[in-house]
Amino acid sequence: MIGRFREAVKLIWPEFYPKISGRLNPYFTIADYRKIWGIGITLLTATALVPLAVATITYYQMVQRLVDSELVLRTERVASNARRAVTFFFEERLDALKFTVNEIGFDQLTDADHLLAVLRNLRLGFGGLADLSVIADTGVQIAYAGPFKFEEKNYGNQVWFEECKQHNYYVSETFNGYRNVPHMIIAVKGLRPDGSFFILRATLETERLFQTLSSYEPGAHADIFLTNRSFMLQTPSKYYGDIFEKMSLPPLNYSRKTQTVMSIDNKLRSIITGYAFITTKQTGTPFVLMVVKQKAGMIGALLAVRSNFNWVVGLGTLIIVVVVTVLCTIMVNLLFRADRSKAETMVLMEQSNRLASIGQLAAGVAHEINNPLALINQAAGYIKDLFIIEKRYQNDEVIMESIDCILDAGDKCAVITKQLLGFARNVDTKIQKVNLREVISDVLIFHEKEAVYRNISIAVSMPKENLEIETDPGKLEQILLNLVTNAFHAMEDGRSLKIQASASNEEAVVISVSDNGCGIPKENRQKIFEPFFSTKPKDRGTGLGLAITYGLVKKLHGSISVESRENEGTTFTITLPICIREEEGKNEDTPGG
Amino acid sequence: MIRFDLLIIDDEHRFAELLVRRLNLRGVTCCVRHEGQSGLDILSHKKFTLILLDLQLPDIYGTEVLARIKKVCSATPVVILTGHGSEKDRQECMALGAHAFMHKPLDIDALMSILTQIGGAAS
Repeated sequence: MIGRFREAVKLIWPEFYPKISGRLNPYFTIADYRKIWGIGITLLTATALVPLAVATITYYQMVQRLVDSELVLRTERVASNARRAVTFFFEERLDALKFTVNEIGFDQLTDADHLLAVLRNLRLGFGGLADLSVIADTGVQIAYAGPFKFEEKNYGNQVWFEECKQHNYYVSETFNGYRNVPHMIIAVKGLRPDGSFFILRATLETERLFQTLSSYEPGAHADIFLTNRSFMLQTPSKYYGDIFEKMSLPPLNYSRKTQTVMSIDNKLRSIITGYAFITTKQTGTPFVLMVVKQKAGMIGALLAVRSNFNWVVGLGTLIIVVVVTVLCTIMVNLLFRADRSKAETMVLMEQSNRLASIGQLAAGVAHEINNPLALINQAAGYIKDLFIIEKRYQNDEVIMESIDCILDAGDKCAVITKQLLGFARNVDTKIQKVNLREVISDVLIFHEKEAVYRNISIAVSMPKENLEIETDPGKLEQILLNLVTNAFHAMEDGRSLKIQASASNEEAVVISVSDNGCGIPKENRQKIFEPFFSTKPKDRGTGLGLAITYGLVKKLHGSISVESRENEGTTFTITLPICIREEEGKNEDTPGG
Repeated sequence: MIRFDLLIIDDEHRFAELLVRRLNLRGVTCCVRHEGQSGLDILSHKKFTLILLDLQLPDIYGTEVLARIKKVCSATPVVILTGHGSEKDRQECMALGAHAFMHKPLDIDALMSILTQIGGAAS
């Protein structure tokens, strides 16, 4: 379970994120993986999200248009119905007064008792009638029925009187009457038999009008009210001011028909206003009917759906972004790993090429030196022969010592050239029988001088009988040389190196290289076989030695392990098969470096 | 003392000359040729106890010379003496019937012991 989790984390962990640096850098094909990652995520996310965003916005706009047109239609219907009702309210009352004037006539109406009877009858018919009065063409009130005493009051210079005289009918705005209750007056002109006119005037309580209006109120977030033509409220409004106050909505243009406009109110609510200028068939009125609906209230359910839809879109967007990011990370990671392993291979190849050319150089040098060396050896040998066989200088110790000195030096040189030639040649040798003792002593030759002047003792312990294995001597030499070189680097002067070889069973031998040097810290032990891991100063270590060694041991079908204690020493142990099958050996195409 | 007749085929004039002198001092008579062909020519009319053959010859490569020698006089032992013979060369020469494979610089005592052995066997 934990392992799987780790694998998953490894898959999506952005290994490419830290800046590439160091020795691998020049071998990477792509320099900036972060940029590729960023571009990938941006492009893929955009490709996925742009159509989603466009579809969502288009959908919202379409729904909004549909809802708006539906709302407008509904508001217009309410306004239109209310307008008809209000118009009828006034027409009915004006007609009743007109009927009274024509039917009863001036003479009877001016009789106080008769007028009172008419008032009572009209109240029965319509209700809400406060008083009735008859005004002569001079403007003087000549009869009154009602709760107050207004007899002989002169209205001759009042606007309404003039209006009624001219247009035969009159409807007033609402106003606060004597009892501080909103009232309005309507008046009708009648003709007397002598041709002069009189006016029948009625005061209406507005309660009935309010009731008529509020019966059309279309819901909680809606308002219905009347204003005059300068938009002073004539009936109370729920949201836009009290009666007789200025309406807190922008003014509207005159229109003969019912109109609907969309706007924003003083509290920044989106509203739909249906309005109509009330005109009766007899005369115009000062009233404007207003029906105001708040969109938010009416489309609450729709907004809830929209909010759900927004959640779905948001969640979808989140999923897209996460999936795109994870996918991009995995892809770029894979790309990065492939590139890195290519770069590592390139570095290893460069290293092995370098080692191969060092081998070739060594072989070349040894080759060229060998012939003159053979000559020196022969010449010195001849001189010695002359001395010994001819017995001329047989007793001259100084000359004999000199000759021996030349011969010794020649022999040593011969060993080294043989060594170099053998070492270089082994780069392409095949599997063959190898004597471990010889290989170990060949390897130690390279460190003999250093061991002497650093006072490092070297102990080799092996079983007495010859330990022979079938393997690739070149690779084995390289392995041991790397291990011994590392041990020398780890030790201070005066320490000791121990090499042990033994047959562990019939199929394998074990070779261990131990030093009592500085040891490997625990935290580094896991990493020492990784390429480019090095704790040595830059000019001394490439970080490849143990990685190559590890690879070579694997090529020889062996295994390598390390035991170390800090400040006490390190032991590398390699186990190699005594016999490698020929086919396996043939498959090795490249030398181990 | 047994008389040894040695044929040296080696293109290194001075090396061959010094070797001849050293062998003369040890009572061995030598004949020197510096090319493979001239070495083969002399074999057609003269017999030797042993042939000392270098591999890097100017005209014919040593292994080829060895093969031809073995055709002409298969009984004469041939010792290969080379400056830079590879393991491959060694195996090839031994397969062609070389008596021994020696590296330069030459250990004259080793050569003498081979001669003594051959002489002992011949007598």
